[in-house]
Amino acid sequence: MIREDAGILRKERLESLLEDLLRDHLVLAPTRKGELLLLEKIESARDVVLEDGKTKNSAKSALFPQRERMFAYRAEEGKVDIQVPPPAEEKQILFGVRPCDARGLLLLDAVFGGDSRDPYYVDKRIRTLVVSMACVNPGPSCFCLSLGGGPCSSDGSDLVLLDLGDRYVVEAASEKGKAFLQNPSFEEADEEAMAKAEKIRKEAESAMNPASIAKALEERLEHVDDPLWGDLTESCLGCGVCTYLCPTCHCFDICDEAAATTGERIRIWDSCQFPLFTQEASGFNPRPSEKERFRQRIMHKFRYLPKDRHMAGCVGCGRCVTECPVNLDIREVLEKLSRAEAQ
Amino acid sequence: MENPYVPFLMKIEEIVTETEDEKIKTFVLSFTSEEDKERFAYRPGQFAEISVFGKGEAPFGMASTPTLPERLEFSVSKIGVVTGALHSMEKGDMVGVRGPLGNGYCLEAFRSKNLVLIGGGFGFSTLRSLTNYILHERNRKAYGDLTVIYGARKPGLLLYRRDLETWGQRTDLRLHLTVDQKDKEDGWQGNVGLVPNVVRSVAPSPENAVAVVCGPPAMMKFTLPVLRDLGFSDENILLSLEKRMKCGIGKCGRCNVGSKYVCSDGPVFSQSELVRL
Amino acid sequence: MSQLTHEIREAARKLLRNKQAQLVIGFEEGSLPLRGRPCFIRKEEDVDRLVWTSFSDINVARYLAKRKEKVALVAKGCDSRALVELIKENQVSRDQVIIIGVPCEGMIDRPRIEAEVGHKAIVEVEETENRLTLKGRDFEKAFDRREFLYERCKACDHRNPVLYDVLVGQLVEEKVRESFPDVEAFTALDREKRWAYLAEETGKCIRCYACRNACPLCYCPECFVDTSQPQWVGKSTGLSDTLVFHLVRAFHLAGRCVACGACEQACPMGVDIRKLNRKLVKDVKDLFNYEAGVSLDEASPLATFCATDPDQFTVNP
Repeated sequence: MIREDAGILRKERLESLLEDLLRDHLVLAPTRKGELLLLEKIESARDVVLEDGKTKNSAKSALFPQRERMFAYRAEEGKVDIQVPPPAEEKQILFGVRPCDARGLLLLDAVFGGDSRDPYYVDKRIRTLVVSMACVNPGPSCFCLSLGGGPCSSDGSDLVLLDLGDRYVVEAASEKGKAFLQNPSFEEADEEAMAKAEKIRKEAESAMNPASIAKALEERLEHVDDPLWGDLTESCLGCGVCTYLCPTCHCFDICDEAAATTGERIRIWDSCQFPLFTQEASGFNPRPSEKERFRQRIMHKFRYLPKDRHMAGCVGCGRCVTECPVNLDIREVLEKLSRAEAQ
Repeated sequence: MENPYVPFLMKIEEIVTETEDEKIKTFVLSFTSEEDKERFAYRPGQFAEISVFGKGEAPFGMASTPTLPERLEFSVSKIGVVTGALHSMEKGDMVGVRGPLGNGYCLEAFRSKNLVLIGGGFGFSTLRSLTNYILHERNRKAYGDLTVIYGARKPGLLLYRRDLETWGQRTDLRLHLTVDQKDKEDGWQGNVGLVPNVVRSVAPSPENAVAVVCGPPAMMKFTLPVLRDLGFSDENILLSLEKRMKCGIGKCGRCNVGSKYVCSDGPVFSQSELVRL
Repeated sequence: MSQLTHEIREAARKLLRNKQAQLVIGFEEGSLPLRGRPCFIRKEEDVDRLVWTSFSDINVARYLAKRKEKVALVAKGCDSRALVELIKENQVSRDQVIIIGVPCEGMIDRPRIEAEVGHKAIVEVEETENRLTLKGRDFEKAFDRREFLYERCKACDHRNPVLYDVLVGQLVEEKVRESFPDVEAFTALDREKRWAYLAEETGKCIRCYACRNACPLCYCPECFVDTSQPQWVGKSTGLSDTLVFHLVRAFHLAGRCVACGACEQACPMGVDIRKLNRKLVKDVKDLFNYEAGVSLDEASPLATFCATDPDQFTVNP
């Protein structure tokens, strides 16, 4: 029986598939730059590295870049002329992102969509195909399963590749994905391959801690007292590493960069961990220290967003755990909070 | 796709220096296209993001009333980069405007209610808009008694002198002005006392009434218990919050308070909503 | 290593018990293999969290500013040097800190050792004497830790704390470093190559400020990047703005930076931040014959005027 929603990609055909895609798409894939694995635009199929786990940066960079021009302006002699950049036209493919990153896009979709659609994000999003790579060996810092995701989850992806060793099983998770499977590089999926894939999936999941975090927290977080937050955050440096590398963090700043009569208004990433984030013109700051700002981050991700958007602001990718310069582990924080006495 | 981040242009028609220290000026803006004017249908309590190209954007409450649609007015206190740049602009200069933003005052819920408007200092901007809106001949009958209590630190810091004078001569509102302190030379005849104390002595009745409070955090903090003592319930006390804002449309995360965004879910909240946040 | 752990715990226990210190700042095990992290101990019963490993690598002097209580600091050479500068700059008073000095034999360069095992996930680490064993899901590899130290540790000439109240372990032999081969190699390159290198490194920066926030000497309540009137530098990741940020920060640290490497270690993107700082450390040495963080009695050259200060730039523009 020919399955419409699954196929096989033999490893030796991967390169030609990518070269084919590169001809009329912008392709972003994990690639090695020095010692870093980054999700970046690739020029050649040989630059793609699919076996080394998560990229340092998350997939949000592809749709919500760190620096983005909103419009340019020319202001002289009492006249102002605004030029908005034309919408993105190039189709793009995120190839080899991990399921956690793909899942993070769902939250960004909710934030940047809605009533006031953000054209900068949405224009790119509708032109993006997400082909993710399932994680068969989740690392010690990964906790996607605890947040409703999973190492082989298809949430947010159009297609998911799963490595069987000599070939990939490719499964479509959307109509766009199904259409993509028509590409001649894919072969019919056989029952043996599908069974093997299922087995690998189960092994990957059983290697992770299944305890669910999100639900327990939503209630608990209402009752946590102040001194506990101080203890939990004493080592926090107040830098922006956790927020900038997080697949779901999306706070930004808007500023003008000006020359004499011309300039541009740009959007740049910002972090709720920085002191100026909530500093008011009067000088008053409702979140004056790392303690309040860290608390805000946890509350926003695990209480406010679930209340507001019915999804947690965390996909359990673990980047904040590995990249925090002082190893402030969000999982330990969440665990201590969920055990805290109700006040 | 419509782009909510791109401002439309408006021209500065008039600049009124409101305060004796010249730190607060009201900018009167005119539209540069009919289309922009038609689309900018706003209500008191909303705000707009004003752009000074090259310097940035900042949020300002609507100080004008939608019953006079030709002009928009914003009062600006000179504090930082954008407000400083605005203050050095002249008649004829162009600014960018994005809006109207925020929820504004719920006029439908105010109908046939008695309204007690309590403002302090610079926060009186949107209450001036609301007062003028209610006083308009088309609207006045829809609302009950109107009590306006407005205070500033000194007489020379009171905004909207022209309005205050005309309001003082009307019989369809009760106006109580107060200053925190006065100098012997300034000839001030009105109340001397902090706004919360004036509220206590005016003692507006909570019967079928809604109180709207907008001012500096300290004033709002001390006015709240006075209103509660007078018998106002939390649902009938409305506050207009101020927070650092950027996008104004609930995306950049800055003004997040609890599960709400002050820019899009507010800035007007009832006290009962705030307690839940 | 474990002997040092034991002695550190004993020292901390004694200080807390005798109320000589209300807080002990030291290192504990991280939540992941290959990680250590700072810990804050206020109660005697928590003292066993303190450890000394090849991953006790951040600069704990960073946590001293603005404290009211008496603090005991577990300090290796670079931590103690940063502390010396903080004392000279009146951010901490000498009698507020009790230094538990630890002679250090270098910390492990995590990115390098992760690359060495092909970036495979590491599940367990064992450390005994100089042997470091890394275990993954399907591999086990042993290393001599001395071959995988941070570059800055390999070149370190202040392995022993320069100042201490309590010394644990045995003082170790100091290397004598006479020159700055890293800086000299870089300045010997031609202009285009140097520019290309700096532009490439700057391109990696994501303006997270981990470098600045991890630095013990970056304690300004308002950093120059946050000033808006006037705005000295833009906040975006454009090349010009980002490079200016790093250059100005390096200059603000001239004569104060002890080249501890906390900045480059905190950096998630592997930016070679220390290169700029090292150049200024060399310049300060050449111009003023001064090295930061070595002696409490040596006045900081950029904070004091001396008639013999070099002034070619004013005389020969």
